[in-house]
Amino acid sequence: MNGATRRARRERWLEGSLLLAALASACAVLLILAFLVYFSLPLFRPGAIAGILSGRWQPVGGEFGILPMLAGSLLIASLALAIAFPLALGVCAFVQGLGPPALARPVLAAVHFMTSIPTIVYSFVSVILLVPALRSAFAGRGGFSILTASLVLSVLILPTIVLLVHASWSGLGPSVRMTCAALGLSRTQEIFRVLVPVSSRSLVVAAILALGRALGDTMVSLLLAGNSPQWPSSILDSARTLTAHIAMVLAVDSQSPAYLSIFSSGLILLLVTASLTLAVRWIQSAAGRRRR
Amino acid sequence: MMRTSAIAVALLSALALPGCTSKVETLGIAGGTAHIPVMEKAAAKLMAADPGIRITVEGGGSGVGVQKVGEGLVQIGNTGRPLSDQEVDKYGLKSFAFAIDGVAVAVHPDNAVSELTSDQCREIFAGRISSWKVIGGPDGPISLYGRDEASGTREVFWTTALAKGEVAASTKVVPSNGAMKTAIAGDPLAIGYLGIGHVDESVKAIVLDGVEPTQENATSGVYKVNRQLFMNTKGEPAGLAKKFIDYILSPEGAKIIEECGYIPVSR
Amino acid sequence: MRRRLADRALLAGSWVSTGIILAAVLVLVGYLASRGGGALGLRLLFGDADPLAAITGRQPVFGGIWPALAGTCALVLVASCLAIPVGVASGVYLSEYASHRLQIILGFGVDLLASIPSIVMGLFGFTLIIFLRRTILPGANTSLILAAGCLAVLVLPGISRATYNSLAGLPDSLRLTGAGIGLTRWQSVTRVLIPAGSRGILSGCILGIGRAAEDTAVILLTGVVATSGLPRGLTEKFEALPFRIYVLASEHRDRAELDEGFGCALVLLLLTAALFACAFWLQRSFERKWSR
Repeated sequence: MNGATRRARRERWLEGSLLLAALASACAVLLILAFLVYFSLPLFRPGAIAGILSGRWQPVGGEFGILPMLAGSLLIASLALAIAFPLALGVCAFVQGLGPPALARPVLAAVHFMTSIPTIVYSFVSVILLVPALRSAFAGRGGFSILTASLVLSVLILPTIVLLVHASWSGLGPSVRMTCAALGLSRTQEIFRVLVPVSSRSLVVAAILALGRALGDTMVSLLLAGNSPQWPSSILDSARTLTAHIAMVLAVDSQSPAYLSIFSSGLILLLVTASLTLAVRWIQSAAGRRRR
Repeated sequence: MMRTSAIAVALLSALALPGCTSKVETLGIAGGTAHIPVMEKAAAKLMAADPGIRITVEGGGSGVGVQKVGEGLVQIGNTGRPLSDQEVDKYGLKSFAFAIDGVAVAVHPDNAVSELTSDQCREIFAGRISSWKVIGGPDGPISLYGRDEASGTREVFWTTALAKGEVAASTKVVPSNGAMKTAIAGDPLAIGYLGIGHVDESVKAIVLDGVEPTQENATSGVYKVNRQLFMNTKGEPAGLAKKFIDYILSPEGAKIIEECGYIPVSR
Repeated sequence: MRRRLADRALLAGSWVSTGIILAAVLVLVGYLASRGGGALGLRLLFGDADPLAAITGRQPVFGGIWPALAGTCALVLVASCLAIPVGVASGVYLSEYASHRLQIILGFGVDLLASIPSIVMGLFGFTLIIFLRRTILPGANTSLILAAGCLAVLVLPGISRATYNSLAGLPDSLRLTGAGIGLTRWQSVTRVLIPAGSRGILSGCILGIGRAAEDTAVILLTGVVATSGLPRGLTEKFEALPFRIYVLASEHRDRAELDEGFGCALVLLLLTAALFACAFWLQRSFERKWSR
């Protein structure tokens, strides 16, 4: 009897420590949010928010707007997604049967391998190879530019899309394939008229996750986008992302608005990526409800 | 899982062990990036001579140097500009000038332009002259490079050469003197500015208002865009920081400063 | 007729996109191998120092990447020690103990943590140190333990998810068997379920280690420096491979330094690729074992 109680107590104690670990992992995000908010508090002094959320970054003139960086982030990430998404669908279709079946596995393996290539390695090689190539292609413009950063980011986020879409298509199973074959559809028709529409939610989820990845990346834009704090007017212009802005400006004087601007940037990044995660959750749970 | 953590603890203590076996004296240096070659060479010499010391060298820019030494995060904070009165008051910093360095405008070596007036220079960096053709250079847009807000080089260049004029927002920003040189060397249409100590054959330094940007001209004051390089400590330097500063200011240190392309400040 | 044309175009698109991606990966790896391969060697690692004396730390290394490699290894080791126990425990709790409701709430917290950009994690580490200095630990400084801690939080959600997925993917019969032979929940988890899911869990942990090894943005703000020598203790500054590559990408002084950059990038790629290959193989054998 005594042994049983002791065992039960031990079980409870172990379960408690597991719960603690789970709580720690789940609540870490709250702690991070709290710190960023705490350090952004001076933002809520009169006038400060308008100063930070303005369109000009000219510290010597006392202007500390980070909107150009927000625009840079959004433009670079969405351009990267626009490049990567069609390519990724093409690769998925290739693997799904448009290419020779013997090549499907090696291509998938290559895509898997891509996930293991460090971001900094992509950036380093691109500084040496891609920047001069684009510069000569566009007559002196486009070296350190939005286009360069987006191209490299698109390669970086492509595996995310391919692997998610591929998993979703494979999960649809042989029944779809057989139905299509029975209807006399070609492989191409099967993929683009049946698989794509049926898996539209997964495609959206893949796109959102890839966008989040692109928005959150620092090293590619820091090394390749040129970091000029201007409103981008062409993809051959250089631009600064919020992530690169944090890396660039950290540790000027701790009293100045420049310092404040990096916490605001961090906060904005955190809120944007969190709402993307929320969107994914919402889409997935809506899908779950419909299936039921 | 229990076993994993036991192994982990063992490995961790193994990692921490070398630190415990002998008393290591450490010195942290951060700040101005023009200083880095001098700091690294001196640190290497001192560490090779005495295995009991450890010197870490970081960049970050002059602003970072002031901030970090003031907060006590490092013992020596470098600046490529004199400290402001506020900075001295706020942290109680003490400055040691050790070298003179001009700030040169530089372009790609293939660029035909080799001379500019201050006026042209201001127009270019404000973005009002945007084509090389106008000033006799190659056919193409001018690609502007500048430095980050923490940079002392930027501060000096902006106040002296640009007379606190406008700076184009399209200026690409690089984080150090070394990065500026690499960027200009790689871009045939580039123009930027960097410490003369960093100039070598991979970039071409521009003659400004008829004066060649050399360290001699900077020392004599003929070349206007110049500054001193400082090491700063919080209060009087002590221990390893003092030893390091004394070494930099010694004849041996002067030799290192010259090797790196700067002119030592005579005591 | 027109449909056939569209079919053809899509087919061609699929081949072209697969070709582009494979070409990009081949160019990257090939160029890196050809430029970096020549640089590999004792000189790349140790510069002018005697290798034996350098490894034991008796002679400082200048112009070699040994201190950076050692720094990365130390960083990864400490980060794993922090992240793996907590990550696995939280995955176990979510899969085996949590109620459905708790699973959704805590799982969402873990997903949010996974979405945080690494530069924001670095910023968090930086604010944490400032906070500690102002409050209870005036001597605290950015250091190896801070960087490793932030990296641990960065890879924690991945490990937690992998553990959860591995356990949730196990057949229910295993759980029933455990209960049937009179094991307590904890015994059933540690003696039946975790061993059964070990390959999947391990795979997740290794992927986390790879991510910790390659990340640059976190350490950028939490204590990495250009020169510090071998890592000597948890509260010291350190060097790391990705940071070395970043520095060399933005400021290589001459051809020799550029070659060092390529060598460095190749070493990092080999490291992450090897980790990835292990994880991939483990995951495959896990899936083969339990998918029937």
